[in-house]
Amino acid sequence: MVRIPLFRKKKEKKVEGREGFSEALKGVLYGFAVHGAATAALKTRMHMEHLFMLMTLGDMLGFPIIPPYYSLRILPYVVPNIKAWKERLFRERDFTDLLSG
Amino acid sequence: MQVAFLETPSMWIIGALVAYAFAYYVYARWVDEHIWEVSERRTTPAHMYLDGVEYFPVSRYVLYGFQFKSIAALGPILGPFIAVAYGWLPALIWIVIGNMFIGWVQDYSTIMLTVRNEGRSMGPLVYNAIGERGRKILLAYLLFYLLIISAVFIYLVSLFWNVFPGSFIATIGIIITGLIVGELLYKYKANIFGVTALAIILTLVSVGIGTVVAWPPKNYFGQWSVQIWSIILAVILFIGAIVPLPKFITPMNFVAVFPAIGGVLLIIFGALISPVTGIKLLQPAFKGWYVENVGPLFPILFVSIACGAISGWHSLVSTSTTGKQLDVETDARPVGAGAMLTEGLLATSALAAYMVVSPDLIAKGKISAFVNGATLLTAPFLGGEMSKAYLLTFFSIFLVIYAITVQTLVTRYWRVFSAELFRRGSWKILGNKYVATAVGLLLPIVFALTGSWIELWIYFGGSNQLLAAMALTLVAFYVAKMRKPTWYAAAPAAFMTLVTLAALLWETYVFGLVTFGLRKPFAKPPLTSYPAAAWALNVVFFFVGIVLFVLGLYMSYALWSAYARARRGEVEAKAVSP
Repeated sequence: MVRIPLFRKKKEKKVEGREGFSEALKGVLYGFAVHGAATAALKTRMHMEHLFMLMTLGDMLGFPIIPPYYSLRILPYVVPNIKAWKERLFRERDFTDLLSG
Repeated sequence: MQVAFLETPSMWIIGALVAYAFAYYVYARWVDEHIWEVSERRTTPAHMYLDGVEYFPVSRYVLYGFQFKSIAALGPILGPFIAVAYGWLPALIWIVIGNMFIGWVQDYSTIMLTVRNEGRSMGPLVYNAIGERGRKILLAYLLFYLLIISAVFIYLVSLFWNVFPGSFIATIGIIITGLIVGELLYKYKANIFGVTALAIILTLVSVGIGTVVAWPPKNYFGQWSVQIWSIILAVILFIGAIVPLPKFITPMNFVAVFPAIGGVLLIIFGALISPVTGIKLLQPAFKGWYVENVGPLFPILFVSIACGAISGWHSLVSTSTTGKQLDVETDARPVGAGAMLTEGLLATSALAAYMVVSPDLIAKGKISAFVNGATLLTAPFLGGEMSKAYLLTFFSIFLVIYAITVQTLVTRYWRVFSAELFRRGSWKILGNKYVATAVGLLLPIVFALTGSWIELWIYFGGSNQLLAAMALTLVAFYVAKMRKPTWYAAAPAAFMTLVTLAALLWETYVFGLVTFGLRKPFAKPPLTSYPAAAWALNVVFFFVGIVLFVLGLYMSYALWSAYARARRGEVEAKAVSP
């Protein structure tokens, strides 16, 4: 999974005092200035990856692609991403989802 | 110079702060605990569907900053300009009451709708409530809505560039800064702190160059100046809509963040210390129930201040992104309600800037009123007379960036919505990337030819608030399915449905009078020299009003019917317990 700073794990212990304030301020500024850009960049990469995976491993989803030699070569590297790729590709998308980039 | 506390905007800002604190700590907490029964133990879509791209848990502070940045635009700043025509008191009452009982309710509840419905955005939520036809009508409605926003924002940016000498140069400076920052960040992987410092310095230098050069002067292109500025802006927006986000829009918006935050903080601080700086209220508290060329206080006041009190745009942001990235349900209140109430504070501060300017400026409809008011509030603690010229340029650029950063995204959304709507059939060409963008810019420019931005703003406010009313009705529908009290969403939904349909009907009626020759067309020079063209555009606005009203009426009827069915128990109940 791609890691972006300031992600919080569920039920993480809260930081208090001056350190907590500093974390909050940093988070707000990050959200205000960069979060949208980071999400947009991730989505751009996602679309590129979808295209690449479709071209090489589309037969897994029923697309009529002749399995090329290179599909087998890259298979060990893409195996960890196949489940997430299938889920994302098959997820129903609506025009209001497009607002997020 | 010190003046009586009550004669300054300070007391009203403090009063609004107290009201917003009550809304957040008492009312919102009650809704959070008793209606939605939020729990840290319930898994959110961010965890359930975690993919690191669309669904991932994000810190509440990051999401708060993101939500506020996504919802704050020109609405809370320019809306009070129209509303203050009735006096500052009705405007203040609407901003405070709207935020306390309607605005945060929508933003918070739509986030919760997405969280409790497997991360679905507005379209699928509408589909579940009223079916495929409702979803398609929502798409058509949103296209008209984007068209009206574009017409208003394109006209206003062009007007700002025309009225404030130097603001165009400063804007270009910020765009160039954005391009440099983009290259440094994405291509050369430069250090973010260094790049941010460089962005702030270059932005301040751009404003300084704009102030010193103060070129081009007002009406530089003659009587067609505003229209020519619109075409220049359209070229910039066209590039923004077709090139990849990280190349243009993203870095430009990143750079624009700093003057945007700085301006808001300066105005709030200036309003709070106004008893010390001696800046007094000059506007009358109440002027009347009817204002010529604006309309009756009911319903126009409630749509003129849009995003500062409630806005349908927020429901789109809440459901399409924020709700999918909420770490725990208990974060919905600080993110949704917190960001909305902060925007309410921004609207109150903007109103403070209008309170302290001469009533003449408002009466004559001078768009420079905000810039003058903000400069009056801030100059006393930023160098006095010496800094006034710089601050005038700074606050003019403040207006431009709030409009232009949203407009770049709106143009892009128009393009992707058009691609969705016209992907098949004989109209397929309209879904083409370049054609859709060109149409999405050309139509608003033609609309803006009349120069009657206040009438267009009322359409924008009406359609935006009606979208909010639909979102609130949708919330009431889902809360009814949960077998929980619905009044907290249904009552504001009923009020907003009534008020926005009335406002759209009023504006359609006004353009109808023009259409049937019972009133002079709304037009400003140079279009006044072409009465037939002015009349034709007013006729187009009449039909736009009819379309918006009919689509809005259908959606409202369908959603209220769904809500009634849910209340009667004809819709399958949904559990709320973890």
